[in-house]
Amino acid sequence: MRHRTRILKGMAVIEVTDLRKRYGDLTVLDGVSFTVEQGEIFGILGPNGAGKTTAVECVQGLRRPDGGTIRVLGLDPAEHRRTLCEQVGVQLQDTRLPDNLKVWEALDLYASFYPRPADWRQLLEQCGLHDRRDTRFGKLSGGQKQRLFIALALVGNPRVAFLDELTTGLDPQARRTTWALIEQIRTTGVTVVLVSHFMDEVEELCDRAAIVDRGRIVALDTPAGIVDAIDADHAMRFTLTAGDPADLAALPGVSRVTRTGDRVVVTGRGDFATTVTAALARHHMPVSDLRIDKRTLDDAFVALTGRPLDPQESRS
Amino acid sequence: MTKLAVVEVKLLTREPGAIFALLIPLFILVVFGSSIPPGDTVLLPTAVAIAVAMVGLYLLPTTLATYRERGILRRMSTTPVRPANLLAVQVALQSVLALTTCALLIAVAGTVLDAHLPTAVGTVAVTLLLGTAAMFAVGLLIAALARNGRTANGVGVLLYFPMAYLAGLMQPTSQMPPLLARIGEYTPLGAFRQSMHQVWADTTPNPVLLAILVAYAVAISAVAARFFRWE
Repeated sequence: MRHRTRILKGMAVIEVTDLRKRYGDLTVLDGVSFTVEQGEIFGILGPNGAGKTTAVECVQGLRRPDGGTIRVLGLDPAEHRRTLCEQVGVQLQDTRLPDNLKVWEALDLYASFYPRPADWRQLLEQCGLHDRRDTRFGKLSGGQKQRLFIALALVGNPRVAFLDELTTGLDPQARRTTWALIEQIRTTGVTVVLVSHFMDEVEELCDRAAIVDRGRIVALDTPAGIVDAIDADHAMRFTLTAGDPADLAALPGVSRVTRTGDRVVVTGRGDFATTVTAALARHHMPVSDLRIDKRTLDDAFVALTGRPLDPQESRS
Repeated sequence: MTKLAVVEVKLLTREPGAIFALLIPLFILVVFGSSIPPGDTVLLPTAVAIAVAMVGLYLLPTTLATYRERGILRRMSTTPVRPANLLAVQVALQSVLALTTCALLIAVAGTVLDAHLPTAVGTVAVTLLLGTAAMFAVGLLIAALARNGRTANGVGVLLYFPMAYLAGLMQPTSQMPPLLARIGEYTPLGAFRQSMHQVWADTTPNPVLLAILVAYAVAISAVAARFFRWE
């Protein structure tokens, strides 16, 4: 989790107001509004089918919304798609390249599509693909393919880059490498919109995030802000060798104390952990193995929507 | 555009299907060509029709449907270059491939096999182009309707055999049931084979056949364009 000082704060790159989209009877977007500022990494987070990709596709001009207004770099993407294409880089979910296309050929080709492309050789280096220059797309690993797609999203020298489900299907090592690459993009000043259904990814990378559920934004803040705002119990656990922990239940913020042998679990909300540790110290009750469960965006999602995010898709 | 064409040429040369589309008609020509009388006017137009049909029915629709299936057309629509350019490059390139194969067949047949070569070069070119247009239109329709590359390939194969049979590419039309032979004349491939045959025999191709080819090319392309999905 990090808070970046936004030097260029104040200039909106993307402004979405009351975006609506239906497919037949199905409401996919039900009044979505958000603003993405210059140079930030903005996360759009939610379970599969929440409407994230539809929202982003409307912003990219690939779909026409049924209602609401969108401005990207001050322009309506439905009207000025061609102009915006030159300034917006895209990595789409579920796209592949021809298996026989070599890495350098793909970059060289996509660079030729843009009026002021980046130096693709430098991008190749940046994305850690310089030793895969002559490798064919079909022979790349999942992580390498994804890094190539990021490079392709950046090869037109865009002001905004959309990255959709960047690390789905990657192993933990490859995810870390990809994250490091995004961190690097941050320094170049490109505004990044990251669409993901992985909470940890958004927590790690994004300056701000919108949590989308069933076509609505249920929270919009910094990842830390979203987590702090939720009003739900979390737990601290410790081993208590002497003394009675029952008194702790009376402390402000504490909702429950359970003891199993010398193992104690205290649940509560707000800043109860500090209060409890202070009380333990005051009463000279020695504790060991103290652990405070860190609340994550996953917990925030449960608290906001009443259900876990993609239970089947949990990763280690 | 130039770079796109260069890359697509490279991809085509790396595609085994393209090599097969070139080699199979050549193989047929050489195998059957060893037993033809000098001055033969049947085998070469047959091989040419097979070559064009293979590119039009297999290679073109499979490539385009795969591009759509992989999201390549969709990905391109987010760049300043429209995906229609990719389609145009592909059609042009596959035409070149088909015509190159024909040129190769004619060269081999004319030199090694001593087959008859027609004298009316202009008529040959026109007939060849119209036939290619009609077969490519069918290929574009397959590409428009097929869900993915594999389906496109399967449909191409399924269409090829009945079309080739009706066109008289499997056996001489004189040995076919008269009704089927009659129907076959009006199929795109049948009209193509027949008009090529007439050109080869140094007669003027029947304008009705050429008109049929034009009609197929225009009508089927229009339907293909109507149903083509970019994603």
